Amino acid sequence: MTIQDIGLLQAIGTKLDYLSQRQAVISNNVANADTPGYRPRDIVDVDFAQILREQTNTSVRPVSLATTNEQHFGGGASGDSGATPTRQSRDTYEVAPVGNSVILEEQLLNASSNGMEYNLMLSVLQRQVGMFQIAIGSNR
Amino acid sequence: MNGDILNALAISANGMRVQGTRIRVISENIANSSTTGQTPGADPYRRQTISFTNELDRDMGFRMVEVNDIGVDNESPFGLNFDPSHPAADENGYVKTPNVNMILEMMDAREAQRSYEANLGLIEQTRSMIARTADLLRV
Repeated sequence: MTIQDIGLLQAIGTKLDYLSQRQAVISNNVANADTPGYRPRDIVDVDFAQILREQTNTSVRPVSLATTNEQHFGGGASGDSGATPTRQSRDTYEVAPVGNSVILEEQLLNASSNGMEYNLMLSVLQRQVGMFQIAIGSNR
Repeated sequence: MNGDILNALAISANGMRVQGTRIRVISENIANSSTTGQTPGADPYRRQTISFTNELDRDMGFRMVEVNDIGVDNESPFGLNFDPSHPAADENGYVKTPNVNMILEMMDAREAQRSYEANLGLIEQTRSMIARTADLLRV
């Protein structure tokens, strides 16, 4: 058993993956703030509670498509954050005459809340590792 | 796991790069705002324009912002200045002046600066996320 097999740590890792992917999507929106016709994108929300349930309850494995050929795309199994779909954002506050609807303020707000969630997840991870250290009795 | 977060840095850096190109075009326009023609009746400097597009970068598998086209503005008219002694004056003594509008250029420069700063802010934030991740090693 490796440390990756522990459900909670796996779930935290998945969430961190999701957040760093979202950071990339937000960066792309901000970089395209002056591109004509560009609509901002966002990552489809992940139900973290659902993933946590699936990861921690080992008797119920998430259903995923079998890959019989290495050229197949992933079946969108949970925990496989590489398949997280992005979507075009719903109606935004305003659209510039050139068809661009990126609101810088909105994007920076998303970015900062993303960063705060990332920090939160790292703190949880740190606490968890701290508990292991207490368990193995290393002197801190 | 950190592929995406490094992508985020590259994307923001790319955003800063295109805004830098935009600033360069604006400075060219402002610097040439009184460049007239050399021969009688010749056309003066034409204002340049820049536009962006969103292209798939196959290397990164991400749609990146790129400079679409740096063109010339053929729409807005040249100004006319009465100066018969000027080498570029036509037979009536008028010199054509560039179609650069200072106020427009300054406004464009401000917008480019604002976008540049937004990208810079995101880089700083992404960097702090990476730094916090690296700090985990010090548990």
